[in-house]
Amino acid sequence: MIVEPGQETRFAELKRYVGFTAADAGLLRGFRGAAEPHFERIAQEFYDRIRRHEEAHAVFTGEAQIARLQRSLVRWLERVFSGTYDEAYFAETTAIGRMHVKVGLPQRYMFTAMALIRSSLMQLAGADGAVCGAICRLLDLELAIMLESYSDDWISRIQHVERLEKEALGRSLAVTQHRYVNAVELAHVLIVGLDGDGVIKLFNREAERVTGFARDQVLGAAFITALGFDDGDAARLRGVLARFAALAREQLVDPQASTNEACSAPLETAIAARSGRTRIIRWHLTHAPCEGDEVSVFALGLDTTDERALLARTQQQERLAAIGTLAAGLAHEIRNPLNGAQLHITYLDRALRKDHAQRELLAAVGVVGDELKRLGGLVVEFLDFARPRPLQLRPLAVQSLFERTVQLVAAAAATHGVTVTVDAPTAALEILADAAKLQQVVLNLAQNAIEALAGSGGAVVLRARRQPRMVAIEVEDGGPGIPAGTPIFDAFYSTKPQGTGLGLSITHRIVTDHGGSIDVDSRPGSTVFRVMLPVEGPQGPRAPLYEG
Amino acid sequence: MSILVVEDDARSGQMLADLLRGDGFTVEVCASGSSGVERLTRSPAPDVLVTDLRMPQVDGIAVARLARDRSPTMPILLITAYPELAQRLADCAAPSPTIFTKPINYPALVEALSAIQARPRA
Repeated sequence: MIVEPGQETRFAELKRYVGFTAADAGLLRGFRGAAEPHFERIAQEFYDRIRRHEEAHAVFTGEAQIARLQRSLVRWLERVFSGTYDEAYFAETTAIGRMHVKVGLPQRYMFTAMALIRSSLMQLAGADGAVCGAICRLLDLELAIMLESYSDDWISRIQHVERLEKEALGRSLAVTQHRYVNAVELAHVLIVGLDGDGVIKLFNREAERVTGFARDQVLGAAFITALGFDDGDAARLRGVLARFAALAREQLVDPQASTNEACSAPLETAIAARSGRTRIIRWHLTHAPCEGDEVSVFALGLDTTDERALLARTQQQERLAAIGTLAAGLAHEIRNPLNGAQLHITYLDRALRKDHAQRELLAAVGVVGDELKRLGGLVVEFLDFARPRPLQLRPLAVQSLFERTVQLVAAAAATHGVTVTVDAPTAALEILADAAKLQQVVLNLAQNAIEALAGSGGAVVLRARRQPRMVAIEVEDGGPGIPAGTPIFDAFYSTKPQGTGLGLSITHRIVTDHGGSIDVDSRPGSTVFRVMLPVEGPQGPRAPLYEG
Repeated sequence: MSILVVEDDARSGQMLADLLRGDGFTVEVCASGSSGVERLTRSPAPDVLVTDLRMPQVDGIAVARLARDRSPTMPILLITAYPELAQRLADCAAPSPTIFTKPINYPALVEALSAIQARPRA
């Protein structure tokens, strides 16, 4: 221990309090000769006395130890009368004190023991008052030093416990913090914390993701300006924040003030994300002040953009469905006046022929009849498109569809100078499908192909190939091709003067009803319509669950 | 062979009857389901019934049922804008009615009636 000049050591301080002087040291040294012969006896009596106490036995491990302790006591008595009471003496006594603590000697026993020794030594000193005084003062010093050890030990234990508690608390806090940080950062909700002035102090990961702003960019900025709300939304938000500020002032005055207004009604705003896209956010703002935290407002936002889009789509679909039903009803009803008109045309035609009427009159009546037939055909196709009957699935070989198609289009092909060939494996390609509907599809594609070659003649190929889980049917023609972007699958799109425009729409519908897909690859000189169909039918385990 | 045509579109019913007569058939026309039913209760019953389906108050189904009650073997031809509805009736009555979707194929109707006429009487 380094002692600065002018600084008193603990031992010197104690000696000063107790009043132990150099004279006392001299007295003790002088008394040594008289006291020494009695040391063994005193030590013996001391431990005899102790042995009589039940509690003492808990501390001692056995006679060998007690013998050692007796010898230690003798040495200690020699120290007491050594005459040298320097810092080394202080250090030794301190060590003894620490030993007492270490072996678990209760403080009161050490105290009582000291009292016993004091009494024995007083007897030795007898009537010599000065020696008695010196002995007492030294024993007081010993006591003071050894009590310090107990105190030191007590303090160090308390500090140890405090440290453990602090660590435990720290871990517990860390867990809590981790838990809540996770909750905030992992939530699929925008969580923004604002202080009393509406400045952003907390900005969670979802808020970063949706707005496109990193938290570093917005922390410290005003919520309303930083996130680019439009004027209307900004005004409403300002209103809410103002209400909260008023509420905060009320609560300062009256802590029991009502907290009913602490939550705002949901507020939907648009946010222009940094990417340029607009997201719709439904905000819930809550006033939740907390002592010691500057954040007093929490703005929780739900991205409802997709929800709204879905709602809009659903409403659109319902509208279309309603229109579809109306249209179907209309189509049905149109059949009645068509019937009447056709009957009358039949009559007219018959009457004019009987009358040998002019060719032009008959031709005109013929045209009316054709147009009426066309109207009738349109109604049939429309109704087929709008409300197709359920699929009647059975195994069928694609080759049989091709054969039938070749037969059906033979006349038209011949007229236009078109050859129709089949390119398919010899082994039957079987799929589960509605034969009549698929026939319609192949026929539709083949007819379109032939018509594309109408002016020039050429070749149409009906091709079929097996693929994993699927069959690919292709209809290829060498015609002029279809310009890119043409909405050929749209209902009522037609390039043919007599066309209804529903053929490809119906084809598309049939293919997707079968769980398949259709696409076209076209350039001048080569157009290929490719239909992919699942071998195991629309409900097959590997059929796609959704269109496209 | 006598044909009863029941059709609430009076002009169409009349024209159909005229055309059929022109093709040599004997035809009576009723312009409503109720008058059709009333005619069917009178004798002699017609040999063939050609009826529209959707008519106000008394529809073609009621007319067809009564006809069947009166003459279980009477051939029934339905002419209708709603073939799906007709299919339901066809499924439960026997012999099943023949269904002609409007606008009807007149030559096909004549063919069907001629075929019925050619059959030996039960």
